[in-house]
Amino acid sequence: MWENRCKVAVSGVGFSTITRSAEMPLAAYALQAVKAAVADAGLDMADIDGLATYAELPATGHTIVDGISIVSVNCMMAMLKLPNLSWHVQVDTVNIGGAVQQAVNALLAGVCTYAVVWRAMHNPRGTYQNLPGTYAQGPAQFTAPYGFGGPGQGMAVAYTRWLERHNQKREKMATLAVTQRQYANKNPHAYFYKTPLTREDYLNSRMVAYPFCLYDCDIPVQGAVALVLTTAERARDLKPRPAYIAGYGQRLAFEVAGRIGSLSSYMAGGSSSSRLTWERSGFTPQDVDVAQIYDGFSASVIYGLESYGFCKEGEALDFIQDGRIEPDGALPLNTFGGSLSTGRIHGLWHIIEGALQASGRAEDRQIKDVNVSFVGASAPIVQGTTFIFVREPY
Amino acid sequence: MTLSDWSQVTRPIPVPNEWTKPFWDAAKQGVLALQRCRSCGHFQHPPYATCVNCISVDLTFEPVPGTGTIYAYSIMYHAGDKRFAAAIPYASIIVELDAAPGALLAGNLLDAPYTEAKVGRRVEVVFQALNEDITLPQFRLAPNQA
Repeated sequence: MWENRCKVAVSGVGFSTITRSAEMPLAAYALQAVKAAVADAGLDMADIDGLATYAELPATGHTIVDGISIVSVNCMMAMLKLPNLSWHVQVDTVNIGGAVQQAVNALLAGVCTYAVVWRAMHNPRGTYQNLPGTYAQGPAQFTAPYGFGGPGQGMAVAYTRWLERHNQKREKMATLAVTQRQYANKNPHAYFYKTPLTREDYLNSRMVAYPFCLYDCDIPVQGAVALVLTTAERARDLKPRPAYIAGYGQRLAFEVAGRIGSLSSYMAGGSSSSRLTWERSGFTPQDVDVAQIYDGFSASVIYGLESYGFCKEGEALDFIQDGRIEPDGALPLNTFGGSLSTGRIHGLWHIIEGALQASGRAEDRQIKDVNVSFVGASAPIVQGTTFIFVREPY
Repeated sequence: MTLSDWSQVTRPIPVPNEWTKPFWDAAKQGVLALQRCRSCGHFQHPPYATCVNCISVDLTFEPVPGTGTIYAYSIMYHAGDKRFAAAIPYASIIVELDAAPGALLAGNLLDAPYTEAKVGRRVEVVFQALNEDITLPQFRLAPNQA
């Protein structure tokens, strides 16, 4: 087991308003989320001395403007003018989960005391994913000429292969979309908080990139979420109950840049990240009381459940049936609604919900008797990024 | 069942670089050539700086037969890029060549209804000239389905 298990905790979380498109510059959303997280922890902004983010704009073919389409560490520094800032990083691999893990490392190293991590997501005007212009350079030269425009098709081809290899039916995914929406209807921060979704809605919705229909895709939104991390000792002096980090792991799974459609890597990426997390924490999938698994596209949940070891390869669509992922089921899943229902904020909201469930602070969505709370914060077909939070340090 | 109408589609034009030029030079001659490791014999696509199997940098390009199977596919219904709107719905496929297991090529399924795209179906390469310099490898169903 990891000697540093339960030595760092999440002590505050914050959300901006989540809107369909930009009503303010993105920096204002990020500031709203960071202020809320610091207030939730019961801290003053001047206490914050560490900053971390993953600032990527996932929409392709759009201009990057700091403060409008991304919110960099530099932008946040300029807004907050923190008097005691002593550490900061902007990660470029393994998504926002990597920024959280770097903040954990910085706290363990003693180079900061209260770190804020945020993820701000911009929904640009017009088409979200644009193919290259007249010319296709780099890896896109082998995909864009055939009408492959963004991650949607890359994920869709992999899902088709999974479905046909395992003789599965895409209609079974309705259970995931509907169950997650029921959770979102108890999450006032979610974009679809007040919008119900039925099985019929899912089955009748328009196809986007077969096998993905509209409700297999998270909805692009403008918004930000944030959390405050600190050492366990300091966390115990703050008002919210700490959510202790028992272990984490990460592992990139791209074999060659630009290659799409392979399913050979998702088991490798997801299982190597989760193996580190199980080994470091000492827990197994059977010990998990509640799970948040990244769902930018619905199929990522399948790859997560299988590669993290919750079920066998090819069985995930059956695993989620019969109430297993509902509040009183054996594995309540994406209890905040998931990206499918909160809107596209990438994996930090999954991490936040994992922490809230571990500390008993998930309000109407709280699952009973949670101690071990698992998070898979990215799509394992691209990278594994996993965490375990616990209520009781050990 | 209707065929996807590609006649109004303007495709982005590939720009060869130092790794990929031999692939496009061969395609212009109507030959499918893939990067191969001289050390371990592994084929790979897209081209890369090193052999992804044995990390050798001793790489070359070799012609391969243009037959393979559909490894994965998607049917596009959403006109994200207006240049492809006229072809919707259309099949974007990923092909694994018989001679190069693990090397995956993207393409469209031409000359067949998009509903014919299925994992495991036999396909063969055809060449589609985009302009004087660039010819695109594409795929159609093989005459004899295994």
